[in-house]
Amino acid sequence: MILNKPVLCILPILAIVPIASNVFYDIHPGGINLLYNFFSSALNPSFESDVLYAVFNGLQDTISIALIGWSVSLFFGISLALITSDIFYILFKVPYSIKKFLKILLSIPRGIHELVWGLLLLQILGLTSWVAILALAIPYSCLNARVFSDQINALDKASLDSLIQIGSGPIQVIITGLWPKIFPVLVSYGGYRLECAIRGATLLGVFGLGGIGTELQLSTQSLQFREVWTSIWVLVISIFCLEKIIERIKDINKIQKNIKHFSVIGLIIISILLVISVIRLGGLNINTSININSITLPSVKSLLIAINNIDLVKLISQTLFISLLATGIAVGIPPIMSMLFPTSIGQDVIAKIYMICRTLPSPLIALLLLLFIYPSLSVASLAIGIQNMGVLGRILKENIDRNDKFIAIAFEKSGASKSSSWLYGKFCQQSNSYLAYSLYRFDIILKETAAIGVVGGAGLGWKLQESLSSFAWEEVLIIVATFISLTMIGESLSGSLEASLNNKKMQSFNPTPNVSN
Amino acid sequence: MTTLLDLRSVSLSSGSNHRLKDITLSIQQGEKVALLGQSGSGKTTLIKVANGTLKPTIGKVLWKGIELNKLKRRQKSEIGTLWQDLKLIKELTVCQNVNAGALGRKNALWALRNIFGLIDNENCRKCLQVACLEEILMNKSISSLSGGQQQRVAIARLVHQQPKIILADEPLSSLDPQIANDILNLLLTKRKNSFYTSPNTCVVSLHRPDLLEGFTRVIGLKSGEIFFDIPIGNLNKTNINKLYL
Repeated sequence: MILNKPVLCILPILAIVPIASNVFYDIHPGGINLLYNFFSSALNPSFESDVLYAVFNGLQDTISIALIGWSVSLFFGISLALITSDIFYILFKVPYSIKKFLKILLSIPRGIHELVWGLLLLQILGLTSWVAILALAIPYSCLNARVFSDQINALDKASLDSLIQIGSGPIQVIITGLWPKIFPVLVSYGGYRLECAIRGATLLGVFGLGGIGTELQLSTQSLQFREVWTSIWVLVISIFCLEKIIERIKDINKIQKNIKHFSVIGLIIISILLVISVIRLGGLNINTSININSITLPSVKSLLIAINNIDLVKLISQTLFISLLATGIAVGIPPIMSMLFPTSIGQDVIAKIYMICRTLPSPLIALLLLLFIYPSLSVASLAIGIQNMGVLGRILKENIDRNDKFIAIAFEKSGASKSSSWLYGKFCQQSNSYLAYSLYRFDIILKETAAIGVVGGAGLGWKLQESLSSFAWEEVLIIVATFISLTMIGESLSGSLEASLNNKKMQSFNPTPNVSN
Repeated sequence: MTTLLDLRSVSLSSGSNHRLKDITLSIQQGEKVALLGQSGSGKTTLIKVANGTLKPTIGKVLWKGIELNKLKRRQKSEIGTLWQDLKLIKELTVCQNVNAGALGRKNALWALRNIFGLIDNENCRKCLQVACLEEILMNKSISSLSGGQQQRVAIARLVHQQPKIILADEPLSSLDPQIANDILNLLLTKRKNSFYTSPNTCVVSLHRPDLLEGFTRVIGLKSGEIFFDIPIGNLNKTNINKLYL
């Protein structure tokens, strides 16, 4: 066997073997019936007025939470990006060591999944919409900061240098030299993060923080599958509309020609939506349930006792095992699916399936799977794998659509089947960048195991939930630190592997969503 | 003689730009046709229309009397194309690229097995032999080969396809004279081994009129129209000068 890049992209599908064999034995009595009821309800969602009212009400809450969290993260993301970019240290003559320190500092909140932030903040702020908003805003600000600062650093510095040389002040350089170049990226990546924020807000809702996620969770637990599908379809249609709007807006040429208009109109629209969202969520009332002054740092001794109690090695192994299997599914299935159904109708159907998969938060997929399968590591892997398959499938399709189709046509005209033409003429060319993106995706999946663990009864996430419920703060601290360490190790490993793939000077994936969720 | 390829009043235009204008020609079995013309005269477009990758705006293209879009997979594989940019897959090895020539006769599972390197190399070896390539290159990556070697891999892939006609689009551009002669020789000389009998019909587009030895017929294209279509013996300097004016 030859381990070339196309093979490395397809081989992970083997993860399906252990998952399928486990899941097959874990289906519980009555599970098949529930499964049938669930899927048959897809075409028969509930249209009862009280259900529709609750769903649309929930959707408005989710969008409000997402919008506020996203706006805050965009503001802080841009500000932090500026002070962690090379140009800032040249313009303001600040010592460079501060940049390194800030970068390390920002990687810590970024390493914690928004759900973990949500669970931690819930303990401090009590049940309020602001928990969800901050849970989104904190990690997203740091993510945005990294992406935007990378983009600023990648800019051609020549034009900025010429502005500095003619005596322009730092602010003038930023406004006239930097802003026009970075603005299209802000629109493109910022739009993408709004989609992520809506998904994130839905996920937080599944854990009781309000919005359509809460509706979904309640309907799922009470086995009201028709209501579940009402929420799913509303969510899918909303995300679809948003994707289409963003697709239209993010035409870079159009933006660059009308930066002034785009900036002003964008700011006005965001401000109006923000005001509506804040009003909708009932203003800024934070009821702190914990006296922050009473929090004391744990002693070393108590931390050591907590480490002994946790069985960290087992939990880390479980977390890595879930992540690896889930990555296998997410990476391996899209190429095989596209190869099996290469016609345009087949590709459209697959695209719709991916859309549903990526719209549903993985804990919700896990909850649905748990209706007919006993909890296990395989269920957790399957849930994360399905959700991320939706993301990777979309990225693969978009990149293949953008690429030269002529090689595939040439294969087809020489008699090759549509499937073989897709494989040789389209996929092989994309395998390098698909592999690079998959490595990056492993980091995201690693973070998501925290969320899935809470539902699926496995890994560090499950222990975190337990420790939070029993107010074992030392354990919480250790688990969160472990998560951050795992994410940082994963990021640096996949970063160097990615760099080695990109060094081969092949076309890389869409430059903007390098750090996504 | 059997008519293999038949172009009937074929025109192709994109917007107001006429890339091919009312082309009618047929290629008989055994003919070795050289397509001459300046850059932009329509040589590549004609090759693409003839192999079905471009659809004519007006007119029909027939392969053995059947319209190209009605051909079955096996029939499509009878038309082999040697592309100017070769269309080799950089991510795969030489052997996997050569095997890709057989995709017209094989199913998707075979295609997947080839990607995984699970196909017997025997046929690939024979194809490399026909294309005068050393066996040692079989597991090399495409990017590690020279331009001439890559050209031979593309020919070996054609050999594996076993076409009845070869349409070659500028196969000699960017090759030094010695390699260009070798490649032309490969395309025009009858070759036969246990695996392969080369087709005795080909259409080769050329930008150099000094490489016409071995051809039986010459078609000159100018601004998307046939300027002349004559047996090689009737070609003279005047024709060529007028074509390149």
